Amino acid sequence: MSLFSAISVGASGMAAQRARAELLVENLANAETTRTPDGGPYRRKDAVFESTDISSPFASFFDTQLHGSGVAISDIVTDTSDPERRYMPGHPDADADGYVAFPHINPAEDMVDLMSAARGYEANVAAISAVKDMIQKSIDLLH
Amino acid sequence: MLDGVATQLERYMDLLSARQKLVTSNIANADTPGYQTQDIDFQSEFQSALGGAPHVMEVQGLPFKNDGNNVSLDRESRLLSENALRFSVASNLLRSEIQQVRTAIKEGQGS
Repeated sequence: MSLFSAISVGASGMAAQRARAELLVENLANAETTRTPDGGPYRRKDAVFESTDISSPFASFFDTQLHGSGVAISDIVTDTSDPERRYMPGHPDADADGYVAFPHINPAEDMVDLMSAARGYEANVAAISAVKDMIQKSIDLLH
Repeated sequence: MLDGVATQLERYMDLLSARQKLVTSNIANADTPGYQTQDIDFQSEFQSALGGAPHVMEVQGLPFKNDGNNVSLDRESRLLSENALRFSVASNLLRSEIQQVRTAIKEGQGS
């Protein structure tokens, strides 16, 4: 059980929250996108978190009893709900009836999730700096 | 190496770092569906004469969110700073123990 692996756990949390924030920003940017390479409007994406063992070959050799579990993104799910249809007959992507399929995205929801991701990231940074202080205190014992 | 107090301090710091690691993984998994807060029973681990790896258990009595996760960031940040402070106290005590031994060695060399 080493404090250094606690830093890896915190870093995995930072990486996961950052990836989630990237997806949320992508959703916000594409809130009005009606064309995608796959055809149809953009679809909202969200990350699914999963706890995993943080394994480094060096640490696992010494550290067999206490597994601190980090976090990783296990899946990125794409929203499958029906797109929002708005009546815009002049729009180039309008169908025969004059309706345009827009992504089913609520910007307020994504904004709140984005704040939650930012807070989660901050919490992980705080955890890493607390652990770093403890390691520094141990090193100071040598002086 | 030194005496009983130093050995106890060492065990205390070991347990604190084990606990800090669990707190870190709780924070990392604050948004993981179905994850349950993990901790060690600090008092009983410290009092148990046997050293070795502490027993990890799931914390009871925390409210669950809709996704089956019961990590409370408030609880974890309190524990995070509490552990860091306790560790700092223990390391200062241990350092003064070591300093005493070092002084004894140096005085011996001087004569």
